[in-house]
Parts: sequence; C-alpha cells; structure tokens
Amino acid sequence: MAGTEWLGPRMHFIFSNEVVLLFDFWNVHSPAGMALSVLVVLFLAVLYESIKVGKAKLLHQAVVSVSVLSSQQLTEETDQDSSASDSAPVSRARLRWFLCHFGQSLIHVVQVVIGYFMMLAVMSYNTWIFFGVILGSAVGYYLAYPLLSMV
Amino acid sequence: VDHSHHTGTSHMADNSTTAPPHHHHHPTTSAHHSHGGGMDGMMMSMTFYFGFKNVELLFSGLVINTAGEMAGAFVAVFLLAMFYEGLKIARESLLRKSQVSIRYNSMPVPGPNGTILMETHKTVGQQMLSFPHLLQTVLHIIQVVISYFLMLIFMTYNGYLCIAVAAGAGTGYFLFSWKKAVVVDITEHCH
Repeated sequence: MAGTEWLGPRMHFIFSNEVVLLFDFWNVHSPAGMALSVLVVLFLAVLYESIKVGKAKLLHQAVVSVSVLSSQQLTEETDQDSSASDSAPVSRARLRWFLCHFGQSLIHVVQVVIGYFMMLAVMSYNTWIFFGVILGSAVGYYLAYPLLSMV
Repeated sequence: VDHSHHTGTSHMADNSTTAPPHHHHHPTTSAHHSHGGGMDGMMMSMTFYFGFKNVELLFSGLVINTAGEMAGAFVAVFLLAMFYEGLKIARESLLRKSQVSIRYNSMPVPGPNGTILMETHKTVGQQMLSFPHLLQTVLHIIQVVISYFLMLIFMTYNGYLCIAVAAGAGTGYFLFSWKKAVVVDITEHCH
C-alpha cells in the first residue's frame, strides 16, 4: 500500500559500529572508532554537568566578592570622609563585576551548545553513543554536585 | 551486532526502491552533501551545514530561500533565544517575590522567666488557585514550548540558525542575568 509507510530516517535504537556524529568528518566505521566516539561523548556529558555546577559556584563567588568589596568601600568612606578617593574603588568593583558576568555569559553559551550537541548525539539513535551520554551524565553529576554544597 | 547491521542495510534498500522523498536539503555555500547519517534515510541533514536554500523552519509554509530571508530568520531565532533566557529569569524572580510576600505570622509566646518572646512563622509556598501560581503555570507552558522550538531549530543542523540560538542564549543570559545578579546581591546584603 503506497503512502502509508515511513520514508524518513530510521527512528529506533540500534547497536552499530557505524555512525556519523554532528559533523561530516566525524565518520565512524570501526569498533575502535566507535569506542573513541563513545569516550568523547562521555567526556562531553561530564563537561556539561561540571559546567552547570561551575557556573553556580562562580555566581556565588562573584556575589560574595562584590558584597565584600562594597562593604569595604563603605568602611573606607566612613573612615576618610572625603569623596575624592571613592571613585577608583567603585569603578574597579564595577569593572570586576562586569568581567565576571561577561565570563559567565560565555560559559553559558558553551553550556547551551554542549547541551544541544548531546541532544543531537542521542538523536543519532546509536545505542552505544546513547550509553555514553547517559554514563557521562551520571559520572559528571556524581563528581560535580557534591562540590556545589562546598563553600 | 551483525544482525542489526543487516537490518540497517535492508532499511536503506527499502528507502531507495520506494518513491524518493519530495524535499531534501541542498546546501549551496559548501560542497558536501547532507545525506542523513549514511544508514538512515536521506530526508534530514544529520551533520552541520551552512546554507540558505530550501531551508525548512518549523512550520510547513516557512521555507528560507534567499540570503535576506536567512538573515531575517537569524534575527528572529536570536530574539527567540534571548526571550527564552529572559523568561527563565523572570520566572525565577517572580517565584522569589511571590514566596517572600507570603505570610509572616508573628505571635507572642511565653518564654522562660515570664518574658514574652515573639515567634515568627514563615510559610513559603503558594496556594493552587492563587494568581502567582496560575501565572507561573502559564509562563511554564510558554517556556516549555519555546524550549522545544529552539530544540527543533537546532535540529535543522543549519549552521547559521544554530549560531543564532547559541548567540541569542548568551546575549539573553548576559542582559537578564545582570539584573538578576544585582537583585541577588541586594537580598544577600540585607540579611
């Protein structure tokens, strides 16, 4: 019966040693290549979980350091009683805050891109790659999340 | 493993004997072919490419054919990703605000030695039918829909559109999280 079958890509998981992942040059044919690809994908997943934790810690550090800086300014101002000297610390704190925040935005872009890459890797419907992503997420979460509660 | 390999190749044989799919991507700015994955069918590109001819975007009427249309799509996707980040942060701050505004109950409580202590209860949480919770739910649905749209846009594997998603997310995070960070700073300062 014409017109009733699925003409698109294969949409079920298979175990296979052949896959093309993300880019044209990432073309895998052999078991060794597949093992390497699984390791790369695993590393990507670990990196993704670590970045999530790293971003939260960076934000916490930035907030703490800025509040320390602004309370220092407050004590400086009350000690010295002059308004001429408080422009330099303020602009330094602001610049530091800006750089901190800009760095975090870059890290956020990396996190978004890696997240999408992992989604696309799973979409290849190769079961080994899928296992690599899952295992990498598990290992990454296991290693990184305890660091979140450490100050 | 051999058996599944055989299954894969028989799939490809099926695809080549039936009628060819009615549209496929033809990248014009790079020389490679976007055949899907080698083993799967050839309708979807399965690797990144840069092109602007015959790019389908989410909906059936929305096809990009010229560089101008691609530029417009780039801006639209960029703004969508920025809006998504802003929505996430707006929801967080709304949640925090609606939780802080809820109910501090202070009651005098007799303490030791006949003194009177003030015991303060803070109930955090929302009622089901309260306006903040309903608003959060609506915003959540919008957020889920936009996140799926962004995922589908990234799934087109079109390099320009993927860059638009990533850049929009970064810019949105930078602009909106700036404001959120200032708010967090103030609340941390004031306890």
